[in-house]
Amino acid sequence: MQHERDPLNLGSLPLVSPLADDWPMIEAALRKQKSRKRIVTLAGSTLAIAATVFLAVGVFIYRPYGIPAGTSSSQQLQTTQVENPASSDGLQTNTLDSLIALSQQLESNLQKIRSQTGVLPTASVIYQVELEDLVTQVDEELSRRPGSVDLWSQRINLMLDLSQLYQNQLRREYHRMASL
Amino acid sequence: MSQSPFEIELDEMTLARARRGDMGAREQIYRNFQQPAYSVAFRICQCRELSRDVTQEAFITAFGKIRQFRGDAPFWGWLRRVVVNHTISALRKLPRADAVELQEFHAHTDGDHERIGLSMDLQSALSTLDGEDRAVVWLHDVEGYKHKEIAGLFGKTESFSKTRLSRARAKLRAALERRMNPTEFSKVESATR
Repeated sequence: MQHERDPLNLGSLPLVSPLADDWPMIEAALRKQKSRKRIVTLAGSTLAIAATVFLAVGVFIYRPYGIPAGTSSSQQLQTTQVENPASSDGLQTNTLDSLIALSQQLESNLQKIRSQTGVLPTASVIYQVELEDLVTQVDEELSRRPGSVDLWSQRINLMLDLSQLYQNQLRREYHRMASL
Repeated sequence: MSQSPFEIELDEMTLARARRGDMGAREQIYRNFQQPAYSVAFRICQCRELSRDVTQEAFITAFGKIRQFRGDAPFWGWLRRVVVNHTISALRKLPRADAVELQEFHAHTDGDHERIGLSMDLQSALSTLDGEDRAVVWLHDVEGYKHKEIAGLFGKTESFSKTRLSRARAKLRAALERRMNPTEFSKVESATR
């Protein structure tokens, strides 16, 4: 059976070791990753809240039908809710749909840019892994709460960060090629 | 059947500690799997520096995603997949000329000159192959990958894997014969000129 699988006996070649111990580098990278993860999570949450507020305000500003001029935002909100109780849900759905569409768009852009990018430097790989890990965590959470605007906003921000990472690498590669 | 060098048992406690971010446990995992990880990268890429980078990146990725390891298959299989994915990805991004880089042989075997000689022949023969051929023959013959798995790694069909394997083995046999009977081959070469 062994002869059949490995007729040239390649498995007899000895194991090889790197000439230097790379654990200190890996450990340093992992520690950096840990502290950066905290910052990214914090920044992600802040951005997610900001994006949600921005979207919500945007939708309110552009949908003032039938509301008398000079009415305050809270009054407008109350009036809209009284006139059409379903509109709050509708607004939520619109925002959610926009966020999902944006997330899908970013995902497909990311796939394209990823296939065009060469090997990322170690520092970028660490960041990439962190971001992808966070996307996975958000996706897990989304599978439980698929209607969460906050989670979709977080996902979009992480996608934007990943796109930025690959774009920076493409820029570096372009400059390197141009200098040849 | 011979085992993949990756087939190392890892105790649940170390794995659980590593999942919680314990650096001691992670270092233990690295020390256990560093040699098979580096070896598979080196045998496929044939470049020490690149293999070092690939191994580092693979471990950083693996530890970054260790919470995603579900534990329904052995840990070594999961880690090996991460390492092989990184290796194939690095191989794809290499310019063709760099992929076949001859390397100095560093066997960590003491004594037994005949065995070292044979290893050197095998290593040299392996380094004459195209990167993809080398990856296919190594993953199939040494790591025990199935054609379907290899095809999946390269995003190709099973027949790609089968064709590459048979081509790689034929090239390896020819290279080994050339090394073992150099005079015979020089006679044949001069006669055909």
